[in-house]
Amino acid sequence: MVVMNRKKYKQLRVIVALFVGAIVGLAVVRDSYLLSIAGVLTGMVFMVLVRSTAKIRTDERELTIQEKAARMTYAIFAPTIGMAAFFLLLPSKGGFSVFSKGEWLYIESLGMIFAYLTLFLIALYAISYHFFSRRLGGGGNEE
Amino acid sequence: MKSKLKVYRAMHDLTQEQLAEKLEVTRQTIIAIEADKYLPSLSLAFKMANLFKVNIEDIFKYQGDDNEY
Repeated sequence: MVVMNRKKYKQLRVIVALFVGAIVGLAVVRDSYLLSIAGVLTGMVFMVLVRSTAKIRTDERELTIQEKAARMTYAIFAPTIGMAAFFLLLPSKGGFSVFSKGEWLYIESLGMIFAYLTLFLIALYAISYHFFSRRLGGGGNEE
Repeated sequence: MKSKLKVYRAMHDLTQEQLAEKLEVTRQTIIAIEADKYLPSLSLAFKMANLFKVNIEDIFKYQGDDNEY
């Protein structure tokens, strides 16, 4: 198995992304859906093959940074989008005439999308938290 | 946590890049550990100790303030 460090893997990923981008660009110019799908699929298959045949050496500090960044992203994104959903849904429930006429219906729709997105995000976090908690030995009753 | 990695690296005449290669991490990780900005995992600490043939406590000195990492 080929050992590849993270830097080389990232470089390869950029090259593949550029290739896929070029193919999709060409597909847009030629107005061909098939070409764009083929380009994206080729890129995906290539990356899957690389990941399965090469051992990618990940740096633990990088993983720590990713964990912290993910935690911060969640901590910022979830309340922001939740609050946005609340404020977008608030007027429609308040009975304001302009909203009751349906002229601003899209705001309510956007609020609903944001609300479900928040719920999905929280549910996903809870599920992944539970999964990793079990995987890392928590939740058992053994003494 | 106070690290003496730089001292041991100098004693073994290794560059940051060479040490990073031996420990299978990036040079940035070595820099961060030497600057006491990153606390390595237990497995990496063991790898270092094995490489320099010393105990982990010889490389890292606990100062009771590692919650910030």
